[in-house]
Amino acid sequence: MTALALALVIPWAAGIVLALLDGRRRLVGWLAVAVLAANLAALVVLAAQVLPEGTVEATTGNWPAGVGITLRADALGVLFAVLSSLALLAATVHEVLDGVRERVFPGIVVLLAAGLSGVFLTGDVFDFYVFFELAMTAAYILATYGGTRRELGAALVFTTVNLLGTFVFLLAVAGLYHVTGTLDMAQAAARVADVDPNAAILIAVGFFAAFSVKLGLFPFHFWLPTVYTGARPAVAAILSGGLANIGAYGLLRFGGELLPGELALASTTLIVIGCASIVYGGVLAVSRRTSTEMLAYSAIGQVGYVLVAVGVGGQVGFAAAILYSVVNALNKTLLFLTVEMRGAIVGGVFALGAFSVAGVPPAAGFVGKLELFRAAVDSPAVLALFFLGSALSFIYVFQIYQFDFWRGERTGTLSTWSQQSLIAVVAFVVLALGVWPEPLLALSHDAAEVLAGSAG
Amino acid sequence: MKLAFALTAATLFGTGAYLLLRHDLVRVVLGVTLISQAAVLTLIASGLTRGAAPIYPLTERVVSDPLSQGMALTAIVIGLAVTALLLVLVLRVVEAFESREIDDVAADEAERGVALEQRHGREHQDEEAAAR
Repeated sequence: MTALALALVIPWAAGIVLALLDGRRRLVGWLAVAVLAANLAALVVLAAQVLPEGTVEATTGNWPAGVGITLRADALGVLFAVLSSLALLAATVHEVLDGVRERVFPGIVVLLAAGLSGVFLTGDVFDFYVFFELAMTAAYILATYGGTRRELGAALVFTTVNLLGTFVFLLAVAGLYHVTGTLDMAQAAARVADVDPNAAILIAVGFFAAFSVKLGLFPFHFWLPTVYTGARPAVAAILSGGLANIGAYGLLRFGGELLPGELALASTTLIVIGCASIVYGGVLAVSRRTSTEMLAYSAIGQVGYVLVAVGVGGQVGFAAAILYSVVNALNKTLLFLTVEMRGAIVGGVFALGAFSVAGVPPAAGFVGKLELFRAAVDSPAVLALFFLGSALSFIYVFQIYQFDFWRGERTGTLSTWSQQSLIAVVAFVVLALGVWPEPLLALSHDAAEVLAGSAG
Repeated sequence: MKLAFALTAATLFGTGAYLLLRHDLVRVVLGVTLISQAAVLTLIASGLTRGAAPIYPLTERVVSDPLSQGMALTAIVIGLAVTALLLVLVLRVVEAFESREIDDVAADEAERGVALEQRHGREHQDEEAAAR
């Protein structure tokens, strides 16, 4: 309960203060890092409470239950919150070591952390929208970071498309409230079974479109390559490792928990869209020669796996989707941070990230792929597509590895040792999760149980 | 009443979507604003009851659903904030590109893409030549 409140209040209050300070000063940057670390610590403490004992709930402002807004931390929410917080922390340390270029950067990242923690820890649909918009607004400003034509053009596309996505989400929230008469997620999930199927399907489509835009799934992906290649590495890492988690979490929470019937109905459609995403992202990534472009298209392909797993559904499917979202977010954080670096261990770290994307042991990606294969074991066509997608990802990551490191096309100054040791730490996390996957596996199964439990 | 709300929200969304697809950036902002208004109107329309104003002390039995109005208020405030942000972003884009046409922004992006392709094409040819 205290940890739950602290996880929200620390970044929120500190973000407002930091936004007023000049972020280009080193001290302010490190202050932001300290706040993010405190946020991560609060979330880890919260996770330590939630995992053995079950859901932690609190109602804001001492209102009676059912009147006030509920904050709810369950295994699924806590897992995603810790993951996003970790990605934000790594990216911010990386940028602070490099030297922050704009005064708002540290404050905005901390506010983004507040928004993300809120999104993952709320039990109220409208509250979800408010935190969602808080995180997105911070992200719109982050996308302009750098301030040249390239970033501004990318930020314009990012902002317009995602605003449209959030308003579609809001329309779906209004619909959900009208048909269920409640904003509480648990109550809505209980009542949604009695709703007129036509209305429920429309609402489900609204949520799906909103979260697909966020994830950058195949027919909604058009904004993604521009933004990820235009943004600075740290920002791209924050967007793909932190912010994109909202999409995966939203699909799981709103699809798996709130609208399970509609999700089961759309199962085939989701699998088809997911497969299209995998093939499209994979084929286009193979045709790219720079690491940022390759990673941007790879991001489209990798979220396809998550969608297929969500479409397969059931506890095995959800567990695979959760596990793969975690692994994918870590991979993307790691690889985006390395794109402009040069140095003794950068090649090794990139290779480890590449192994993880391709799903080769001992990196964490192997465990993710294994769970995906387990989830899709019933349909040979999907299995074949997974195999094709993995082969494509193996080609595109190692093609870039050859260009950048063997042929030495990567130019620029040598990165400092502090930055190199940072990416080494992130790489170590990816490696550790691959070598000793039991905790993460157990966690993702716990989180999937939350969804399956409420659905059944 | 429901039909009137639905038609108005649909018209707002449609007009907004049309403006969003225009070339002029200011129209794009107006389009986003109209779509946000469509969402706000839908929130108001999603209220479960309709009646007197829900102000204490209650004089009538049936009051309007205060929750949907609360949501609408929040959505209006958020809409205002993001519109302001979007306008500032457009201002910066207009300053950087010296144009308020989305085509110029897209052309800049396309140019960069073509330059990159050409560089890679040249590198590829060099490699082929070296291999021979």
